[in-house]
Amino acid sequence: MTVRSAIVLAAGEGMRLRPLTRHRPKPMLPAATKPILEHVFDELIEAGIEQLTVVVGYGRTAVQSHFGPAYRDVPIEYAIQNKQLGSAHALEAALPTVDEPSLVVNGDQLIDASIVRDTIDSHDVPAAGTIGVVAANDVTEYGGVIVDSDGIVAELAENPTDDRCYRLNAGVYVLEPDAIDIVTSVDSREGEYSLPDGLSLLLERGETVNAAETEGMWIDATYPWDLLTVAETLFDTETVESTVDGTAQVHESATILEPAIVSPDCVIGPGAVVGPYASLGDNVTVGSNTTVENSVLDSDTRVGTNATVLDCVTGRGVEIGPGSTVVGGRSDIRVGTAVHEGQRLGALLADRASDEGGVTYAPGTIIGSAVTIHAGRRVRGSIDSETEVR
Amino acid sequence: MCGIIGYVGSAEATAPDAIDVLLDGLSELEYRGYDSAGVALANGTIDVHKSEGELEALTSSLPTASLRDPAVGIGHTRWSTHGPPTDKNAHPHTDAEGRVAVVHNGIIENYQTLRDELTAEGVTFESETDTEVVPHLIASYLESEDGVDQPDQRDSTDTERAFRRAIDRLEGSYAIAAVFEDEETVYATRKDSPLVLGIDGDDADAAGDEPTDCFLASDVPAFIEYTDRVIYLEDEEFVRLGATGWTISDSDGNPLEKTVQTIDWDAEDTGKSGYDHYMLKEIHEQPSSLKQCLRGRVNELAGTVTLNELDAVVDQEFSSPIQFVACGTSYHAGLYAASLLRQRGTPATATIASEFTTDRVPIDDDSLVVGVTQSGETADTLRALREANRAGATTIAVTNTVGSSAARAADNALYIRAGPEIGVAATKTFASQQLALSLLNTVLTDRISHGEIQSLRSVPDKVQAILDTSSSRTIVAELVGSDAFFFIGRGLHYPVALEGALKFKEITYEHAEGFAAGELKHGPLALVTENTPVFAIVTGDGELARKTISNIKEVEARDAPVVVVTDGVSDVERYADYTLQIPETDEYSAAILANVQLQLIAYWVANEMGRSIDKPRNLAKSVTVE
Repeated sequence: MTVRSAIVLAAGEGMRLRPLTRHRPKPMLPAATKPILEHVFDELIEAGIEQLTVVVGYGRTAVQSHFGPAYRDVPIEYAIQNKQLGSAHALEAALPTVDEPSLVVNGDQLIDASIVRDTIDSHDVPAAGTIGVVAANDVTEYGGVIVDSDGIVAELAENPTDDRCYRLNAGVYVLEPDAIDIVTSVDSREGEYSLPDGLSLLLERGETVNAAETEGMWIDATYPWDLLTVAETLFDTETVESTVDGTAQVHESATILEPAIVSPDCVIGPGAVVGPYASLGDNVTVGSNTTVENSVLDSDTRVGTNATVLDCVTGRGVEIGPGSTVVGGRSDIRVGTAVHEGQRLGALLADRASDEGGVTYAPGTIIGSAVTIHAGRRVRGSIDSETEVR
Repeated sequence: MCGIIGYVGSAEATAPDAIDVLLDGLSELEYRGYDSAGVALANGTIDVHKSEGELEALTSSLPTASLRDPAVGIGHTRWSTHGPPTDKNAHPHTDAEGRVAVVHNGIIENYQTLRDELTAEGVTFESETDTEVVPHLIASYLESEDGVDQPDQRDSTDTERAFRRAIDRLEGSYAIAAVFEDEETVYATRKDSPLVLGIDGDDADAAGDEPTDCFLASDVPAFIEYTDRVIYLEDEEFVRLGATGWTISDSDGNPLEKTVQTIDWDAEDTGKSGYDHYMLKEIHEQPSSLKQCLRGRVNELAGTVTLNELDAVVDQEFSSPIQFVACGTSYHAGLYAASLLRQRGTPATATIASEFTTDRVPIDDDSLVVGVTQSGETADTLRALREANRAGATTIAVTNTVGSSAARAADNALYIRAGPEIGVAATKTFASQQLALSLLNTVLTDRISHGEIQSLRSVPDKVQAILDTSSSRTIVAELVGSDAFFFIGRGLHYPVALEGALKFKEITYEHAEGFAAGELKHGPLALVTENTPVFAIVTGDGELARKTISNIKEVEARDAPVVVVTDGVSDVERYADYTLQIPETDEYSAAILANVQLQLIAYWVANEMGRSIDKPRNLAKSVTVE
């Protein structure tokens, strides 16, 4: 069947990606140079979606100002979820716009058009809904789906630890209007109204939910360092292409090593080396003789002269001073109480963090938003937002 | 000023289509006025429907079922100049027999003479408007020499002749469209008021042959939903729209060849995209519109700023001070620009456009006159530019609207590239004017340092930083209910203080005034009490900052609540009750950043007070009367 409208859930912060999410929600973090959500929209439009409803909440002005009332001529309607109480609660915010079978997708996970198409194609009445599922070795961090021999969903489980054969829930659904009514009426669990719980409720009510087996690409960025692997995957799968925008100024003695994206208004100084695997957002500046490799530098980031930036993720308007070094490489990174071993991250600098120059970043350093670091410091570990490192 | 629209549908179009086109168009034109609205449909006889108040009042009163084809009509949304906003004064206006209906934007300066003349001939006027003379004049010329109109013998040559003869009698400014009974045609013309023709259909270049949908409007957004192919009419050109197409002719009736242009704004740019008001949406669009303004113009590698549009101007030497002329918010941008130039040793002044012509500011062929107008249609600014042209001066229009009257009237146009702005209170266009004018400043003085280029390039992100972190919303509850609001600043922050006050009064309806900080003690201080918050802009910690801090102490001593907009470099926060932080930058860009905090304050206070933020009372977006 054909499904023309999609509801995209983009209201959540993505707390595990803090401090990058201080001023914007996870869907607006950069996958290479474009927001994750923009990739999602591209794939939905590729799959034939003609009407987008986006549920926004946390940091919603970032979404609204970026996309405006339409994206690639597809009109966008915004539904506002004022409190983030879970994905089923988010879907409820979009209820007034629903009058036909709709695609429901997460706006903070990268999917490709084939997942969308496979899910739409597998949906047929009388099924109340269809879930896109992909084969995965390990679903313990995600949503698991048990599919019976007829391709019908038997059970859903979040973060399952038993050894039954789970498919990964790709977060792509087709739901009939009546099914959306049921899904959004689910009770909360520990204060959260979740979409998988809503779908389980659908099963309890005796409704049929199809499973759409698909081999399409599905990537989730859970932690800040995942943004590096997301960019790498997008390059390697040729989902994004190496480009140097026509409005960028690249000095003739600078070197761009592909794969790399140099966005509009960027400036690359003499002798600089950008790439491989460098994603420079709008208006990024790379000073003369500076090296940027395997890094995602978001809009308006400025790297001074003679700096070395490896395995680095920056937010917007970050300033890395002259001669600073982000060493790169693997380390054990603590997020909250958990330690993530051997993760590759040179440094993460959140929005408008700045250093005065000659600063050395130990691998795995996480710098909060608007932190200022005085010249010549060595930094490691985690530094809270709006502090000054003397 | 008002908005007008006209529509002639192709053979397939129906009367309900015409209603849709006219109402959609009027809703896009409401920024030009919203005191009353009306439409006239020419379907054999003329059906006129009009109503006081915003467009919704008209929409709900329209009979949709009983209409007959074909789809020909005109419409109007009004901002009162002559007579209060009532049903009677709403356009369209007709003659006594309902043979002709007219919509008009502008002011007929000799209407009293014409009205007296017509009254002497026995005509009874229904309204107090200047416009109503037009249909009566046209009707009087429809009558043949023996004084009798014979409709069955009348043909389109006669109606067009009557229309032209009537227009010939008018003095003043006008964009006028008219429809006649028994005719499926819209006649229109303009003088000093904007009028644009829109043409749908594939073969739109071929005038006259292929049946197409034709549109007429004061501004492109009125019909952009249907077509992006437009023709800008010049003064005293006449257009006739019929079911077989369109023809344009000069005032003597000679056919004219006109170029069809394609517009790249799309209708989608005009939705509110999840924001409660266009104003807030436009405030949040500033980072991207500022990026547009800079794109391709600032080269950090070469250390240069280039404005290709002004190549002809930059090498010229001007002996007299550079004159900026503008009105309202644009005037504040002009003050900012003149101050920037003077700081670099180039003589410059800014003058309110309506005073510029009155004052007879001396200009000659050695002068540069820069008109700043967002819409490019502001009548006062246009008049000043035209007078400057007549005096032989070099003229530049700094505008947001490609192909606007100002862009065409001036020798050169510098586009600010802010994109469409719907909110009546100018926000993003002011920021883009400031940025474009600071680019103009560097080009005219041919001086820019590497640091200045860096700070220009960082303006969009620094504005984003303010939007991300502003605490303006949290202090509004403390401000609402005050007796009056004062805004002070020195140097480049003086225009920002004026603009902050203007924005505040426009949308909150509260008394707000901006002063040069040093002027406070020369009078206005008498108004300062514990119930008059004072907003002060202080950046850096130089002499200007220290002097403004002294002025802040003066008001603090009178117990006035003090709100400072500051980059935190000086110790001004010690004297402030509330602080609105902006990122540190150079003094030129600081004025752009400081204004953003004041926009947000005005918005959130007006929001708290439940004001009609996008359409404040008595105001309209672009003022096309003098």
